[in-house]
Amino acid sequence: MTLAPPNTSLVSKIDILHERASCLREIRQFFLARDVLEVDCPALGPASSIDRHIDVMRVEIGENKWAYLHTSPEYKMKQLLAAGIGDCYQLGPVYRLEESGRLHNPEFTMLEWYRVGLPFLTFIEETLNLIRLLLVLGPLPTSFITYRAAILHYAGIDYVHATTHDLIACAHRLGHHSSDAEDWDKETLLQFLFSAAVEPHLGQNDLLVLHDYPASQAALACTKQSGDETVAERFEIYYRGIELANGYHELTDAAEQRKRLYAESQARIAMGKPPLIIDENFLRALEDGLPPCCGVAVGFDRLLMLRLNKTSLSAVLPFPWPDP
Amino acid sequence: MAQVNTNEFRAGVKVEIDGEPYTMVNVEFVKPGKAQPFTRVKLKHLKTGRVVDRTFKSGERLDVADVQELRMRLLYTEADGSVVFMDDNSFEQITVSQNVIGDNKQWMLEEVVYEITIYKGEPIEVIPPTFMEMKIAETAPGLRGDSSSGRVLKPAVTESGAKVQVPIFIDEGEKIKIDTRTSEYVSRI
Repeated sequence: MTLAPPNTSLVSKIDILHERASCLREIRQFFLARDVLEVDCPALGPASSIDRHIDVMRVEIGENKWAYLHTSPEYKMKQLLAAGIGDCYQLGPVYRLEESGRLHNPEFTMLEWYRVGLPFLTFIEETLNLIRLLLVLGPLPTSFITYRAAILHYAGIDYVHATTHDLIACAHRLGHHSSDAEDWDKETLLQFLFSAAVEPHLGQNDLLVLHDYPASQAALACTKQSGDETVAERFEIYYRGIELANGYHELTDAAEQRKRLYAESQARIAMGKPPLIIDENFLRALEDGLPPCCGVAVGFDRLLMLRLNKTSLSAVLPFPWPDP
Repeated sequence: MAQVNTNEFRAGVKVEIDGEPYTMVNVEFVKPGKAQPFTRVKLKHLKTGRVVDRTFKSGERLDVADVQELRMRLLYTEADGSVVFMDDNSFEQITVSQNVIGDNKQWMLEEVVYEITIYKGEPIEVIPPTFMEMKIAETAPGLRGDSSSGRVLKPAVTESGAKVQVPIFIDEGEKIKIDTRTSEYVSRI
């Protein structure tokens, strides 16, 4: 009997799959030791999350019946938190439409967890501990910088007081050119400047916590006053210029959350994107009362990529999507 | 005019920006956090070869450049250095100026089929085959006995005028295979 030759690209990934499995095991042990419960909320649901810049995959579940694949388990986990489940985590696939590239895959594995009543800073430290454990970082230092200070440091501009014209001039001075910047609004220009001039520098010599995001990027985080600016209690962790974690001191104010979802929905429609259904079950959970908590989402495949010194997600996925 | 959306951007796609033709060399999807997704593109100007970086918001569109790629056979070189090519199917002939040929002059050989980029009806680039076979026109004789070491190279000039390093056992008049991207010797024919 002759056997067909094995798929060589898969053969070369077997060692990586062993690493993947041991990382998954380490994460489960990390949470078991801290008494955080594993949950597995469904990926498919009748409503979706609403973010202006995250697009959702729609799936046909019957004749003219549609459902959505989740882009994170956040809304369902918050329903569990409101029901009193306590500290919990989910480790599994999430889906995002048209996100494909060296550091993006339409389906990726997300680790998301929530801690009830833990102070924000303690929660950031727990996130750092998990990342350090998985990346086997040893004595590499950690540093903290606010979003505003990072832009000032790497791009030389204080965005709070900058005009759109200042932001365009700043990007040009640093050699970054966009298509039709004259038509872009301040928020888009700021994000362009951040992605081109700031992000690649973050976490090159340390594990970096970027915090105090502009209120316009609060998403599902609480906001607070900081000097002359309202900032979001949101943090991201960067290593070697790559974003690994996005966490919040979670917004518990149901009325404010409803306002933000409506605003995101309106913004999507203004951008010409298809309208999405607002998840009333999620809003009802906040009305019932979400306990004060912090939450974070970590890109598992990116962690594995960095742990194994690879430069693209496709190197650590057994069945990556074809290159864009 | 046909257009391409950012999610159709790929290396090799030819577009027109501000009336100038570019080819995409490298395309990267960039998206920090929950922020605006961007597509960062390295673009090479089709005529000057100058490389520029441009960032686009996801969903933006660009005009596709009016570019054709033709495979044409080299017929002969004129006294002024311009080169005449012919399409084997239509028998149509075009003359490409020395200017456009540029550094690829060293790969011009009669009877070889080249890829010619035509922008708005004008030839703007002549791309030689990746691997070409040609005779050595000029090289110093190799010393006997040295060939055993294998990796020892010496300078040579091919019949088309390209300067390449060849193993010392190659003599004038011999035919070799060359990688035109790197000007490196591949094998003896």
